[in-house]
Amino acid sequence: MNRIDLTRFPTINLLLRSRWPQFLIRAITLAGFVFTILAGLFGPVVGSHNFAIIFVWIAWWSALKLFFIPFGGRSWCSICPIPMPGEWMQQRGVFSPTGKGFGLGKRWPKKLRGNWLQAGGFLLIGLFGAVTLTSAKVTAIILFSIIALAFILSLIFERRSFCNYLCPIGGFTGLYAQASPVEVRVKEKQICAEHSEKTCYTACPWGQYPLALKSSADCGLCMECLRVCPSDNIMVNLRPWGSDLGQKAKHNLGDVFLGLVMLASVLVDSAVFLGTWGQLKSAAYEVGSLPWLIFAGVFLIISLGVLPGLYSAAIWGAVRVGSAKTTFRKTLSKYGQVLVPLGLMSWIAFTVSFAFVKFSYVLPVISDPFGWGWNLIGMSGTASIGQSTSWSGWIQILLLVIGLFWSSKVTQQISESKKQALPIVAFSGLFTVSMLWLLIG
Amino acid sequence: MKKEVFARILIVLFIGMVILIFVLGWQKNRNQQTNTIQIHARMPENGGWSITSIAAETNQPINLRLTSDDVVHGFAVGKSDQPTVELIPGEFVETTLLFDEPGTYTYYCTRWCGPNHWRMRGTIEVQGEMAAATNPPPLYLQLGIDIDAPHEAKVTPREPVSPQKGASFAEDLPAYVFEQETYLANSPASVWSRLRAEPDLSALNDGDIWNVVGWIWRENTSPTAIKSGESLYAENCAACHGETGEGDGVMVRDLPIPEAEAHDMYDSHSESSTAGLTRPHDLTDPDHLLGASPALLAGKIIRGGMGTGMPYWGPIFTSQQIDALVSYLHTFVW
Amino acid sequence: MKFQVADSDLINRIKNDWWFFVLLILGLLIIFVPLPQAQAAPIDRHLRIEASMYQFTPGVIKVNKGDKITLDLVAMDVVHGLSLDGYDFELTADPGQTKTAAFIAEKTGVFRFRCSVACGNLHPFMIGKLQVGPNLMFIRAMLLGILAMGAAFWSLRKPFSNLKEVNN
Repeated sequence: MNRIDLTRFPTINLLLRSRWPQFLIRAITLAGFVFTILAGLFGPVVGSHNFAIIFVWIAWWSALKLFFIPFGGRSWCSICPIPMPGEWMQQRGVFSPTGKGFGLGKRWPKKLRGNWLQAGGFLLIGLFGAVTLTSAKVTAIILFSIIALAFILSLIFERRSFCNYLCPIGGFTGLYAQASPVEVRVKEKQICAEHSEKTCYTACPWGQYPLALKSSADCGLCMECLRVCPSDNIMVNLRPWGSDLGQKAKHNLGDVFLGLVMLASVLVDSAVFLGTWGQLKSAAYEVGSLPWLIFAGVFLIISLGVLPGLYSAAIWGAVRVGSAKTTFRKTLSKYGQVLVPLGLMSWIAFTVSFAFVKFSYVLPVISDPFGWGWNLIGMSGTASIGQSTSWSGWIQILLLVIGLFWSSKVTQQISESKKQALPIVAFSGLFTVSMLWLLIG
Repeated sequence: MKKEVFARILIVLFIGMVILIFVLGWQKNRNQQTNTIQIHARMPENGGWSITSIAAETNQPINLRLTSDDVVHGFAVGKSDQPTVELIPGEFVETTLLFDEPGTYTYYCTRWCGPNHWRMRGTIEVQGEMAAATNPPPLYLQLGIDIDAPHEAKVTPREPVSPQKGASFAEDLPAYVFEQETYLANSPASVWSRLRAEPDLSALNDGDIWNVVGWIWRENTSPTAIKSGESLYAENCAACHGETGEGDGVMVRDLPIPEAEAHDMYDSHSESSTAGLTRPHDLTDPDHLLGASPALLAGKIIRGGMGTGMPYWGPIFTSQQIDALVSYLHTFVW
Repeated sequence: MKFQVADSDLINRIKNDWWFFVLLILGLLIIFVPLPQAQAAPIDRHLRIEASMYQFTPGVIKVNKGDKITLDLVAMDVVHGLSLDGYDFELTADPGQTKTAAFIAEKTGVFRFRCSVACGNLHPFMIGKLQVGPNLMFIRAMLLGILAMGAAFWSLRKPFSNLKEVNN
């Protein structure tokens, strides 16, 4: 077992077990959330001077991809303020549950389960990306709608239904958390089997049963199970990257769809934001116009047609060389996990290319968050144009190449033979070449 | 339970703090600006200046806080020596205006911000005890020049004009040549025709007469005026008229070239034949420019219009600036 | 991730993992080996770049190493700038006032140039590319990619299908 159980270290155990550290961070992120909405609504219309734009799209969005997900999986979810108001109502306590709360506590409809809605939400973000990314007001309105929607849904449905089935960022982090080095698992399966109350399941806001956890995709690392387990039978492990991937991993079509949507999004985002095609940028920006409709159409064709088509073709190839038992549908789901390392590393490479250049915008907006001409930390007006250097190019190449190696390796692990792996590896290779061409070419 | 209460207090405290910072900052920001007029500059398509008229009094400072919401703009007041302010998107600049004479002043955007850039104008109405100074009407009105009429040159030089050579004939020239009125009211072509008709100058060949005309035009201006005209042209005119005056500026790139046979964009017929606007005429075309007197060119600059999209610069340029610009325009053909 | 590795274990690992070092060396070779490149004689190039919201036209410029490049920056609608990554080169132009400057393309590779004057919402994404000489970085990246795929095949050559539960 190449795992390190973090709860064995007394200090870490204390920090994870106590509600205070997490609560305090979430209280701060909640206040930050309110601040961001205010700044977005009332701050300057010039994006590079608006706290909301810079903090959401440069600072947070980059931190999520460069830090939270690769080193902590769904660690952002554990400090995300969005479900907080709703949970306060649901549990009648913002700190810990204090009896029966408000809300209907309905179960999420079966038909709407899975990652489909999350993937759809992520596609929507992509379609309107150029506007959201540059308009502070739109960013603020989206943030507000998200927190309002999460609140309303918490009153209707049980637990964190919004996070589980709707939040596009939840879909994103969940998918890539499978590659992350953090997991919550039970220590002794026997103890759980003998424990009939299942306090952990009752307490889990995500509706997970720790004993049944096979992957980190749906576990929000909130540590509730650790806190309520009467037998101290929950551990929080550091593990090698990509531990959820492999033969044992269970996958469904929703995961494949989500993975393909993420791949398409990173391709299109790279083309729009890092490419040299001004008309593409304008088309993506002028929502509602004819060029935008064409852009949206192309985006949807790529994410719903071209990439799934190529992927299916690769699977078809793999099925043909596979044993008689393999069905197309099963294989389609099985290889979905290949898209996880591929997508994760591509998103990180995109972020390196995108955010490093724009990082100089961050400090000035802290200095003058509302654009009133303040200079709180003396950093106003220090934003520079920014430039990418050759080493950032090499970092992107290494990230993409590692992603290709990793996904090829996963392909190998779950294939019956090298020959069967070949079409899937070719798909990964093709995708990596497109990314390389967009970022480095 | 105590913990829960404490936690709730903390949440409310944090969010309250954030809102408090916002509200206090808002208020403070307001108070600082009670004596200040805040103007946002936006591209004309997005609304132009957020404020387009300001009322003021003589010798009362006007405090302005300016910013741009989209692209680089500039703020300047026409016909005054108030300094030009550059407006960088998202950054605030403060400036104070002071007028000692009553009147209507026009402020305008100084940096090109799209084809409608020149529409970004606003007025400052300055009231005062003195009566507003009345300027004499511009020369083209005094002389009754129809600036919309065609003005093709009947004659044009065949060789490059050399004012230096023209200078050597200075002694032989009739007296009216040295009057500024002659220069202002006549086109180079008509001065040439008049000189050609002078019996005293019959010894000169056609080219030398043109050299004389060139010299007269040079004598009526100065290198500093041409220099100033050049920079005014680059900042205000070149985006449409082209950097070399050929009428191919970046803003009119997509417009049709004015009809060749009409050869005069001010012809009311050509106006109806084109659905929209055309490119400006080629200023380097001697046929066109040598038939225009300085007063006529000044008139076109002051009044603009002509159904062409030419802005009116009357409220913005001083008469010296217009003279400088006109003298620079004539250098295109010399 | 193993914490206690006995010496014999280590030797065994090296024996088993020799391919790792081979790959590493191959990878480093791909990154660092100088590739032969045809050196064209430097020439003077006069380029005109039109900047409009939000693109440079042409957006991609290819030149050879050592070329002297004279750039005319023409702003087509609002004030734009051009700042070239990797080179200390910047220009700002107003519409109607073309700005010209020259530099020598000494560094090879692909360099982005960006608009340096805020010109609207999409200004941060107004980008063009200058390619000096062949894009070796891209070629090396492709080779690395092929190596990575090969390595993935190689790394699992022994324990196949059922055997690999060992390290779980």
